[in-house]
Amino acid sequence: MKKMMIGDRIVKSFGEGRERRHVLDGVSMEINEGEFVAVMGPSGSGKSTLMFALSGTDSVDSGKVVVDGKDLSTMGENELSDLRRTTMGFVFQQPTMLSNLNILDNIILPAMRDNRNNVTKISEKARLLMQRVGIADLEKRDITQVSGGQLQRAGICRALINSPKMIFGDEPTGALNSQSAQEMMDILSEINADGTAVMLVTHDAKVAARTERIMFMRDGTIVSELKLPKLEGMDMDQRIEEVTEKMREIGI
Amino acid sequence: MYYRIIRNDMLKSKVITLATMIFVSAAAMLVSLAAILVVHLSGALDMLMTQAKTPHFMQMHSGEVNMARLTSFAEQNHHVDDFQVAEFVNIDGSKIILGDRSLANSVQDNGFSIQSEKFDYLLDLDGNIIHASDGELYVPVSYMRDHTAKVGDKAFVSGREFTVAGFLRDSQMNSALASSKRFLLSAHDYAEIKNLGSTEYLIEFRLKDMSALGAFESAYASAGLEANGPTITYPLLTMLNALSDGIMIAVILLVSVLIVIIALLCIRFTLLARIEGDYREIGVMKAIGLRVSDMKRIYLAKYAAIAAAGSAVGYALSLVSKGMLLENIRLYMGDSGRTSLASLFGLAGILLIFLAIMAYVNGVLRRFRSLSAAEAIRSGTSHEQGAGAKQFRLSGNRWFSTNVFLGVQDVLARKKLYATMLVVLVISSFIMIVPQNLYSTISSKSFVQYMGIGTYDMRMDVQQTGPIPTNTSEIENRMRSDSDISRYAVLTTKAFKVKKENGSEENIKIELGDHSAFPIYYSKGRAPAAENEIALSALNAEELGKQVGERMTLTAEGAEKALTVSGIYSDITNGGKTAKAVFTDHTADTMWAVICAELSDPSLIDQKVSEYKNRFAFAKVSDIEEFVAQTFGSTISSVKKASVASALVALVITLLITLLFMKLLIAKDKYSIAVLKALGFTNSDIRAQYISRSVVVLIAGLILGTLLANTLGELLARTVISSFGASTFTFAIHPLSAYLLIPLMMIGSVLIATIIGLTGAGQIKISESMKG
Ligand SMILES: Nc1ncnc2c1ncn2[C@@H]1O[C@H](COP(=O)(O)OP(=O)(O)OP(=O)(O)O)[C@@H](O)[C@H]1O
Ligand SMILES: [Mg+2]
Repeated sequence: MKKMMIGDRIVKSFGEGRERRHVLDGVSMEINEGEFVAVMGPSGSGKSTLMFALSGTDSVDSGKVVVDGKDLSTMGENELSDLRRTTMGFVFQQPTMLSNLNILDNIILPAMRDNRNNVTKISEKARLLMQRVGIADLEKRDITQVSGGQLQRAGICRALINSPKMIFGDEPTGALNSQSAQEMMDILSEINADGTAVMLVTHDAKVAARTERIMFMRDGTIVSELKLPKLEGMDMDQRIEEVTEKMREIGI
Repeated sequence: MYYRIIRNDMLKSKVITLATMIFVSAAAMLVSLAAILVVHLSGALDMLMTQAKTPHFMQMHSGEVNMARLTSFAEQNHHVDDFQVAEFVNIDGSKIILGDRSLANSVQDNGFSIQSEKFDYLLDLDGNIIHASDGELYVPVSYMRDHTAKVGDKAFVSGREFTVAGFLRDSQMNSALASSKRFLLSAHDYAEIKNLGSTEYLIEFRLKDMSALGAFESAYASAGLEANGPTITYPLLTMLNALSDGIMIAVILLVSVLIVIIALLCIRFTLLARIEGDYREIGVMKAIGLRVSDMKRIYLAKYAAIAAAGSAVGYALSLVSKGMLLENIRLYMGDSGRTSLASLFGLAGILLIFLAIMAYVNGVLRRFRSLSAAEAIRSGTSHEQGAGAKQFRLSGNRWFSTNVFLGVQDVLARKKLYATMLVVLVISSFIMIVPQNLYSTISSKSFVQYMGIGTYDMRMDVQQTGPIPTNTSEIENRMRSDSDISRYAVLTTKAFKVKKENGSEENIKIELGDHSAFPIYYSKGRAPAAENEIALSALNAEELGKQVGERMTLTAEGAEKALTVSGIYSDITNGGKTAKAVFTDHTADTMWAVICAELSDPSLIDQKVSEYKNRFAFAKVSDIEEFVAQTFGSTISSVKKASVASALVALVITLLITLLFMKLLIAKDKYSIAVLKALGFTNSDIRAQYISRSVVVLIAGLILGTLLANTLGELLARTVISSFGASTFTFAIHPLSAYLLIPLMMIGSVLIATIIGLTGAGQIKISESMKG
């Protein structure tokens, strides 16, 4: 299977002198193309830091990150931006929309950077995406005029507008109630079924249970991993049971 | 507790705090300086005019003086306290040599006199009345100022040798604006040179009560006494003496007002940005029951600290630098002896600035109250979306690149925020364009029309150094046969009396001749064409209360002459009070004549000037540009200096404010920048967006500034210029500098400031701004 992303002995530390602390202490991991993975771990274990390192948003002290066959350490700031824009999509815990733009404009923003002349096509695609996540009638709304769950869905549309090969989600369901969280996961599963790799950071066993593989982090390293069969192959309650069991086992 | 919050706040925004403080200190320094200067100027002037016993009323006169008649007038008029006739002899500048320099090129009329008997004393630099011994020459202090002479120099007046014994202050003619200067020598020496020049008389009065001045003036005018020359009064002298320093004070005040505005804008901007940035926090504080007044107090205390520090620095600077600006006053008028009073006034001025700032901060902080806690917590930002932003959709954007679109759209969405920068840019472009336009206007060739001078090439002034009619016709004869002269006109000036509405009479100098040959610009009506027509200068029309089409009565040697006002024009020559007519007159004496000529080949001008100079020694020959330069050159060059200086100030302000603005904006927009970066926008994309923002604001600022300059600015400039006597004019805009050079310089400084200000944006880390 082709590798979407490879992290090899990534080290990242913060602080100076005696304050200096390894937040990522030699993390090695891989994500296959089209794979659906989750990262779990206690607060402060380095999950977000790992995600920023893997997406090239933040530099690493040592180790290697390869995305889609490209070694990030050989790329400049602008190339990293280009890679992020064309290959990756991001969904964050808090909606990160620009307040000047309405929902539709926020969604098409990353595509407009390069393909302004195809604005009709892009808007068309955005509308399809919005329809798919169930916010078709909100395109003209201001970002303050919709609910948190709706905004999060708009965030997914934005992440998908450039048809990325991989989506990162840092607790994308963290601010949602369980009903909305499940709807969100339905959408992500669908996207994944279309062939886009997804990496989620989450605290929620119910969310993690819907992925194929879960990495558990503690103090800057991956301490354990849990593989789950394809969604259709296992009952949901059973999956959740398995995840909780594992979490209890390693003490999260 | 407060102290800690304030200190942390200031440390967080060091650059902005420092800049605000600098603006406050600059404003405080200037206001304090202006106050100090006003006190010293009024004190020193008062002292000088008291010590010198400046006359309350003075009539200058050339020609015969009937002493008996004057004395009896003075005795019979019960307003008169004291009376004297002083005389001085005007000597051509080329015959006066101070040290090794002659005064040939001096634009001043240089006169020699002895010390007055009763009042109008010439004082030394310590304020004492000078008594010159034989062989001693006391020189007007302005020649010390420009380093023409120093004590101990040898001086020659028409070949006679003197020693420069010292410098004198003349409460009448000190000012550079007074066209005459008086030198002082001993009675014996005076008698010796008396016949070497033309004598002029100063008929001077001191009144018992200054408030009777108006009554006395008309009494003198209607008594038919000596009046061949200008009339000068005490208030006019005070104004003349105070004018040049007064203008400086006015300019300082004007600049300080601008800087205060900019300081206030800085504060407003910082505060609004902070309030918006802390919107959520403030909402939370409100929600948990903290009182608004407590929060207000924190910010008030912060600005009190900044304003107090700035004021203190400004005051110290003003005390240090006042010496430099007081130099002129000290030299020309002496010490005022009011140092402590001046310092007190300076302090009062600074207190005013301080209070204004605090009042302003208080006003801005009123926003706290209107802030809804619930809304603040829910949205996290205060939304002030403009109506324009809504119709402006990225999905409907066909014209701009996405980066430009985002920049423009942000400006439209947050109009209030950008309004601050807009105001600064409007002010900056205004203070760049107006002086520049003023300069190009008064230095343009066509401006001489507004000055009451026709557009001819060469000008010959024939003065009372000989028989004017004979001398004039001699020149005319020569010109008629000179093939290089394509056209000429003779204009002779004669004095007449004009009847005012109230029955009193006033002197009026009328220039007679063909006024259609070299037409000037008439702000109303046209040149006089018929025998019964007259055109008045703006100042004369105002004083006589005449409009175009109205009639006026002239008396010439007893006979009355009815004239109709055909036009009104601007004039800066001869004090701005002139008139033009075409009738022929043989009754009154000619005061002077001007012969204007146009050359068939203008490039011959230098050659022609020297040819006529040699041939007609009695006349003053000048090419028109030289003439304009001499009458108006110092004004033109000081306006030029002022326009360069204000352009520099404006550019520095633009640069500083844009820089500050960008820094604040980036601090405020940290989150959106991080979002954009996470979405894959590069640093240069973000730079393009911010440059578009400042360029949009700049273009708006330039357009508004130019419009304002051409309306309000023109009005202002007209007010300034009309004080010289020219009433109506429109800006002669130099399109290259007004519409290209100035915008380019502004764009340059805004771009530089934006790019420097944006360096912070590149360092924004996505990971730090967006914690999952
Ligand atoms: N810029 C920084 N400077 C210093 N320390 C940092 C910085 N960013 C993160 N850290 C530290 O690195 C550690 C890991 O942070 P990270 O955000 O990756 O945790 P996390 O696993 O995502 O936690 P959470 O589940 O709470 O989001 C934390 O202890 C944090 O204090
Ligand atoms: Mg995290």
